[in-house]
Amino acid sequence: MASRGGPQRPNGASQGKICQFKLVLLGESAVGKSSLVLRFVKGQFHEYQESTIGAAFLTQTVCLDDTTVKFEIWDTAGQERYHSLAPMYYRGAQAAIVVYDITNPDTFGRAKTWVKELQRQASPNIVIALAGNKADLASKRMVEYDEAQAYAEENSLLFMETSAKTAMNVNDIFLAIAKKLPKSETSGTPQPRQGVRLNNEQGGQQSEGGCCK
Amino acid sequence: MASGVQSNGYRKPASPCPSSSSSSSSADSDRKSNSGSESGSAERKVDPYGFERSDDFDFETYEQFMSSYLSILARRAARWKDSYDDKRKISRSRKLKRFCRKGIPGDLRPDVWMLASGANARLAEDPDRYKSLLSQNADQAVTDTILLDIHRTFPENVYFNVLSDPQSLRKPLQNVLEAISISNPHVGYCQGMNFVAGMLLLVTKSEERAFWLMDTLIKNILPDYYATNMVAVKAEQELLGDIVKWKLPTLHSHLAALGVEWGLVGAKWFICLYADVLPVETVLRIWDCMFLEGSKILLRVALTLVTLNKDRLMAATNFPQAMDIFRDIVHEPASLQCHSFLQNIFSVTGSMPKSRIKSMRDKCVQDALKS
Repeated sequence: MASRGGPQRPNGASQGKICQFKLVLLGESAVGKSSLVLRFVKGQFHEYQESTIGAAFLTQTVCLDDTTVKFEIWDTAGQERYHSLAPMYYRGAQAAIVVYDITNPDTFGRAKTWVKELQRQASPNIVIALAGNKADLASKRMVEYDEAQAYAEENSLLFMETSAKTAMNVNDIFLAIAKKLPKSETSGTPQPRQGVRLNNEQGGQQSEGGCCK
Repeated sequence: MASGVQSNGYRKPASPCPSSSSSSSSADSDRKSNSGSESGSAERKVDPYGFERSDDFDFETYEQFMSSYLSILARRAARWKDSYDDKRKISRSRKLKRFCRKGIPGDLRPDVWMLASGANARLAEDPDRYKSLLSQNADQAVTDTILLDIHRTFPENVYFNVLSDPQSLRKPLQNVLEAISISNPHVGYCQGMNFVAGMLLLVTKSEERAFWLMDTLIKNILPDYYATNMVAVKAEQELLGDIVKWKLPTLHSHLAALGVEWGLVGAKWFICLYADVLPVETVLRIWDCMFLEGSKILLRVALTLVTLNKDRLMAATNFPQAMDIFRDIVHEPASLQCHSFLQNIFSVTGSMPKSRIKSMRDKCVQDALKS
């Protein structure tokens, strides 16, 4: 599974550009943030996933046509008191997945608070996706699909219901984000870092795009 | 459709992972099914503390280490027996400090931790306290948060993951955490305390002792790591950065150039006191010192991890590489070799005068309060 070489191009696409984006996962405790990342990065699922303390950093690469998108993922702790650490992780992020648990309406409320905070305080062009996780537990559903979708539309969020357990929509939500992220043609730009505004040499119109080379 | 997810973005630790339990990254802990493994008997799959070993557990490195460590343990056990055959003779002294730095024998560990930390004296003053706390109801919101984490504490440990086992530590863990939340209302429950209390239960095999040790940590030994505002944890990470700047200025500026902020490094190190981070034996050896000497040990450990891996960190050319190294260094063979690791934490870190650390920490706390 873990080939160490450069990004593969499974569909024989020609050499294209490589874009690097910082993505953060936010949401209430135990909604499945780490499980979504584990499914996306390693294709695994654990019924009992350890509580995340602080945050975990992982990377994963997806291929989109001729572009290779490398995600630098910050998977954060969900407990309320860890909230004060969150800005450090979402600062400079080009994408965020805000996760709630479809069986727990409180977590949907918490997700809305995260969306508001990101809209107010994160990078202005951040791509936000809303993930209604644990979709496999349909019999315990407490948050309606239509309600979440309407909320997502109002706030211009990507939206999918996901299941880290069955893998439903997990790769899809990351791919949808990858598609929506601006992939500039700027070449040779050094990797943008947290909090560093990426001004491209042609005039810096796009303030915080990804890094392509 | 020319799009697809690749599976090669995830990097395994560069060296074999010697620990079955520890991981700084939540998605990093392999808990594969043991079926189909040819590596032998059941006891080889579970370590002495109940942690299941993954299929790729490196027995060779482990056994090489244990063959030398067992003779050290035997020698230390004899020395402890000579000096402290009567446990009542154990008192806080320079000799005890020397002995603790060289490791406490497993059978004496709970007693020595209780005595060295002062937990024993506190228990003697208020012998019914734990029972009385258990009879009270914890705040419902706190209990709900604790319950979310009970089944997510050491899920790869047989004492925590076998529900039907009468020896399951899940209920004792819940009891200890609830009692702590009542005893420390300004703390309540902070995620991460579950791993500390869980480790205390595995070692002491006693709810009451686990409670008293954790309570003493919170009240007398640690900075305010678990307070709701998280200021002390933020400050401790910045303090680590400032100490690195003081001791290893070139490395500090290299990492700064890569965009590494110290706030991104080590939150779990401090919150969990390295439980679920470093290999179990190493954690216990660190705690042998921490209960007697205090939290400065935790900074020494962090600085040791950074110092021992200075060359690798200097070779990192971008931010993800640096973060991957910080994630992986806790699994390195050097972190498993607990005896030499503990020697290193007092030698490679050099002098760290209490007064200087205190004034550096005060400044970091002030900065964290402002941010």
